Amino acid sequence: MLNVLLVDDDLEFAEVASNIIEFLGHQVSIANSLKEACEWTDSQPFDHILLDFMLPDGSGLHLVDRLEKNNSAAHITFITGHPSVKGILAGISGPKVDYLVKPLQREDIEQALSRKSKKSKASKGSIVKRHFGCLIGESAAMQELYLMIERVAKTSANVMLMGNSGVGKEVVASAIHQASQVEGQLVATNCGALSKDLIGSELFGHEKGAFTGAVAKKDGVFERAENGTLFLDEVTEMPIDMQPNLLRVLESKKVIRVGGVKEIPVNCRVVSATNRSMESIAKDNVLREDIYFRLAVFPISIPALCERKEDIPLLAQAFLEELNTENDCNYEWTSAQLDKLSNFDWPGNVRELRHAVHRAFIMSDPATKNIQLPSSFQSPFSLAKKANQGVSAGQTIENVEKELIRITLEKVEGNKTAAADMLGISTKTLYNRLHAYGDFEE
Amino acid sequence: MSHEENVTVSKLVHDARSPLNRISMNAEMIKLVLENDMPKEKGLQALDKIIKACQECSQTLQTISQEFGDK
Repeated sequence: MLNVLLVDDDLEFAEVASNIIEFLGHQVSIANSLKEACEWTDSQPFDHILLDFMLPDGSGLHLVDRLEKNNSAAHITFITGHPSVKGILAGISGPKVDYLVKPLQREDIEQALSRKSKKSKASKGSIVKRHFGCLIGESAAMQELYLMIERVAKTSANVMLMGNSGVGKEVVASAIHQASQVEGQLVATNCGALSKDLIGSELFGHEKGAFTGAVAKKDGVFERAENGTLFLDEVTEMPIDMQPNLLRVLESKKVIRVGGVKEIPVNCRVVSATNRSMESIAKDNVLREDIYFRLAVFPISIPALCERKEDIPLLAQAFLEELNTENDCNYEWTSAQLDKLSNFDWPGNVRELRHAVHRAFIMSDPATKNIQLPSSFQSPFSLAKKANQGVSAGQTIENVEKELIRITLEKVEGNKTAAADMLGISTKTLYNRLHAYGDFEE
Repeated sequence: MSHEENVTVSKLVHDARSPLNRISMNAEMIKLVLENDMPKEKGLQALDKIIKACQECSQTLQTISQEFGDK
């Protein structure tokens, strides 16, 4: 996700273009004049700036000068409606500056942000449907999730997303934001990644001189998400003694910047996320009860990938299409490969599947169209999770036996004689059991 | 055509290109709505903006025609 600044005095164009850029998965801020653009770039770093050449209060070149002086790393794409200006811009275009001529298409913006050359039209179309522009899956569990997103999007209720690591909580937050059709932007912050000293400044902003190093005024995420959506990831990892401050903002809908005295009204939907279960939240005392009820007005549980295995081929297809487009390749899945992907449990969920597809993509021979899957998908984390699973009440004896055989076979790298020895059964019995289960057949 | 006239034409063409740019981006928005099952209100809003931009563009073309049509 890139942090993009769009500078254009055509308000209507800026609005629709920012919607499209958000849809492409980036965070976007808008400036309608050179002055506003300078204020934005002084207050935060941007990865990419889409810049109108002629602004009411000056030329976009002034901003380029200013960024160069400040050693900004931002990539700049000029947008101009004057074809004659194209020649001038071509002269200054370098590795960090390029240009687009109006009227623009989505593909132009996509290319500018990915800094890639034009792709053939044929590689663009995707056969995978993306719900709310980002969610993939047609399983019953996902249909239920889409229904919940649609319903909650019509309200301003705060949402708490629950689900294991890697299920796509940030993507669901983006879908809620997209479906809500709000004017403001989606601002995301990870409460687990912020130090205790900085969390107040990140959430509520600070005034200039509030503490050592506060050289300029800074807006907090609540202010930046005005009329939009604030995504608080790993909210249960927020230090418990900071939570009363958050509660006060949620209740009063007003923030006071660190070092400030003025109450600033804020209006945004808060979507929070945690990978802890309801029981863990209550038992481990990681979230105050009053905060929970403010944040989880509408709790949504995101299904693990193993609960929606029928979506695995769609996800694998979508990931492969993305990689093909990025790398100008044309790999395809075989149905046997998609079956193999579907038969794995993916304890690391969609993130782990994406990683496995990426790894397979890298390993594949560019001379062929065939993707090369590894013999095993295990990661250190999935192995650790499997080892911790053990036996629990309610499992059938058949399932426990099946799991025991599977783990043993993995341990001895598929050697059935050694596995039978380890299990204390004859090789013939092991073969009979494997035949009965069928699942272990390659 | 004199230099002044060239400048005026360039300005008017620029004025016509701005609504065309809005038309193009709103059309892209409608494509996104249709391709991704997004709420139809978003698509309808974009269509209204396209209609408005078409009228603006037409007015600018009319100005060009009036100013330079007889020359």
